[in-house]
Amino acid sequence: MIDLSIGRDLEAQLEQVRRLGREHLRPLGIEADSRREPVPPDHPFFALAWRMGLGQPLGVEERPASGPRSGARRGVVLAEEMSYWDRGMSVAMPGLGLGGPPLLSMGTPEQKERFLAPFRDRERPHWAAFGMTEPGAGSDVAAIQTTAVRTGDDWVLNGAKTFISNSMRADWIVVWATVDRGAGRAGHRAFVVERGTPGLEDMRYEHKMGLIAYESSSFTLRDCRVPAANLLGGERYYAERAGFKGAMRSFNATRPAIAAMAVGIARAAYDAARDFARTHYALDRPIPRYQRVRDKLARMARKIEAGRLLCWRAAYLADLEQPNEIEASMAKAFAAGMAQEATGLAVEILGDAGVTRDAYVEKLYRDVKAMDIVEGTGQIQRIVIARRLVGLPR
Amino acid sequence: MFTLALSDEERLIQDTARRFARDRLLPGLRAHERARGVPRELVGEFAALGLTAGEDLGAFARVLVLEELAAVDAGAALALDAGGLAQPLLDAAGLGAARGRGVVIEDVEGRFHARDGRLAGEHPWVPADEIAVAVVLHPERALIVREGWRLTPIAACGLEAAGASRLVLDDAPIAATLEDPRALGRARAGIRTAVGALLVGAARGTHEYAMRYATERTAFGRPIAHHQALAFLIADLATAVDIARLAVWRAAAALDRGESAEWEGASALAEAAEQALFVGPNAVQILGGHGFMKDHPVEKSMRDIRTLAQMAGGRDEAELAAAALVTERELGFAGRGDRCP
Repeated sequence: MIDLSIGRDLEAQLEQVRRLGREHLRPLGIEADSRREPVPPDHPFFALAWRMGLGQPLGVEERPASGPRSGARRGVVLAEEMSYWDRGMSVAMPGLGLGGPPLLSMGTPEQKERFLAPFRDRERPHWAAFGMTEPGAGSDVAAIQTTAVRTGDDWVLNGAKTFISNSMRADWIVVWATVDRGAGRAGHRAFVVERGTPGLEDMRYEHKMGLIAYESSSFTLRDCRVPAANLLGGERYYAERAGFKGAMRSFNATRPAIAAMAVGIARAAYDAARDFARTHYALDRPIPRYQRVRDKLARMARKIEAGRLLCWRAAYLADLEQPNEIEASMAKAFAAGMAQEATGLAVEILGDAGVTRDAYVEKLYRDVKAMDIVEGTGQIQRIVIARRLVGLPR
Repeated sequence: MFTLALSDEERLIQDTARRFARDRLLPGLRAHERARGVPRELVGEFAALGLTAGEDLGAFARVLVLEELAAVDAGAALALDAGGLAQPLLDAAGLGAARGRGVVIEDVEGRFHARDGRLAGEHPWVPADEIAVAVVLHPERALIVREGWRLTPIAACGLEAAGASRLVLDDAPIAATLEDPRALGRARAGIRTAVGALLVGAARGTHEYAMRYATERTAFGRPIAHHQALAFLIADLATAVDIARLAVWRAAAALDRGESAEWEGASALAEAAEQALFVGPNAVQILGGHGFMKDHPVEKSMRDIRTLAQMAGGRDEAELAAAALVTERELGFAGRGDRCP
């Protein structure tokens, strides 16, 4: 029989996130939203969180010495909780972020040692970033135009990246480039580009509709020389296609966590709407309007739990190292759509007050839209599912 | 840490039910529909497998069985399931296994009246031609009768293999009354979970059929499944089936852990009904004109799903029950280390 208990260990970690969320994540997220500026990297909160060992929960872990993996499962639960308090802040958290999976799964031992070293310093917070998206290449990653040319002991990168979370404050960015624009994914190479590398230029904030608390930036690579030692995995890695595919699979653990973040936002909307209803409506009065409010709340609750179960199933399979592509895409597609519906219902429950900038649900309604776009849009998820189910051709 | 695996025994139960459905129900699909029932030897054969409602299987194993049967024929699943939905109430009342089919009526409109230990009233549809027990559910009690009815056969939208009748109780003697709120709540949750499992099965069966068809049928030079409009629909239908199943599994697991499971049961039926009602008509849509014809089973599944979603108060009562509980429903993880949030 299935067992849906969380377990005591995780419960303790959750309590920590809850305290952090109540005291810091939510207030900071709201403050950033009203000031329209991301929380700066030198904000004392980041140093505090970093000392506590808290980063972005993405379900990524190195293989445990023994026993079954549990990182993906811990990841979905913690990601939901952190995003419940503030999804923008959960991305702003210091740590490897999405730079983690490629380094951990593709990096040579030397590279791991070198690039993880700064992250062992608990005094000052550190960030890493992941740079794939370009102005002309989002979901279609094979279409990236940034070029990598080998010149002596270096690689020279040229191109532009956009929507890269935390890249402005990152110690290093995993930048994806191509050695052959016509070769699709086979031409892709991943480089660790360190901050201050000449040619890493034009860093600028991008202004978003929601999720203001974390900074996302665009940048240019102009004859940016990267030492050959920074080619992730080394030359040999790319000769063995299977290895490269393995790297992409490391994202199977992160996708359920991203989906769980949508669940977290929906849950925040549910709590806000329910609290509003409790104080503004007499819920027990037999007036159709009140039944309607209750129906909406019940629908939100039911859908949120359904989304959570999909995330949990996908994470469970990831921990078993079983294929979870369909399940992860189902979780992502459903949770993001569901969370949009839930935040919309919450706005409706608040009525006219729901569309004012003072209403927390109004912020959530803007924040949540990104969840159906990042890490593969809802449409891309459906393509992934259909490929597996009915062989939809590329 | 949570796990979503089936035990070896549960897999065996699932496989057994799946094989029975494929080998014994599928060949007679339309014949059972026309005959308004499955042959007696099939009922006996299935009972011998020990998978009916009367057995002490537990809610989780039961939903596995019901899904497998309903994936082929939800009507036949009811015909084979002995006491069926009535069984949780018989168990709660200490009456043991039903000696034949049982039906449950959620008396939403107040058609039944109890007086001097007798029950009178009528109901426009029950999915059976012959019964051994009927349970009438009122908000705060369940009234169980084992005789004193008249059943008049009628034609129903779906589930024909289960039969279909108008039921009249003429001062039927009440065999037992169940009033304990907790027992009643759990029994209702069990009923809703079981109906949810039937909906999951019917939706899965028809989705699988339509998906297969969509990879074989070509239009404009390629399989229709490779047109994105249908590929996306197929992906959404697959997701719908899985969402419904997870909701049903969660409710069944809560029941087996001895929890009240009222929220989980109501949510499971509400979710399964919504998702199955999305899947049923869209499976027909995928087959186009062929879907509308009796040559394919998708039209039957669409009718079966519509009919199932009315059972035991159906989607509306389930959603109302959930809405009544929702303001106390905490979705967070706080203090839930041992429990299913």
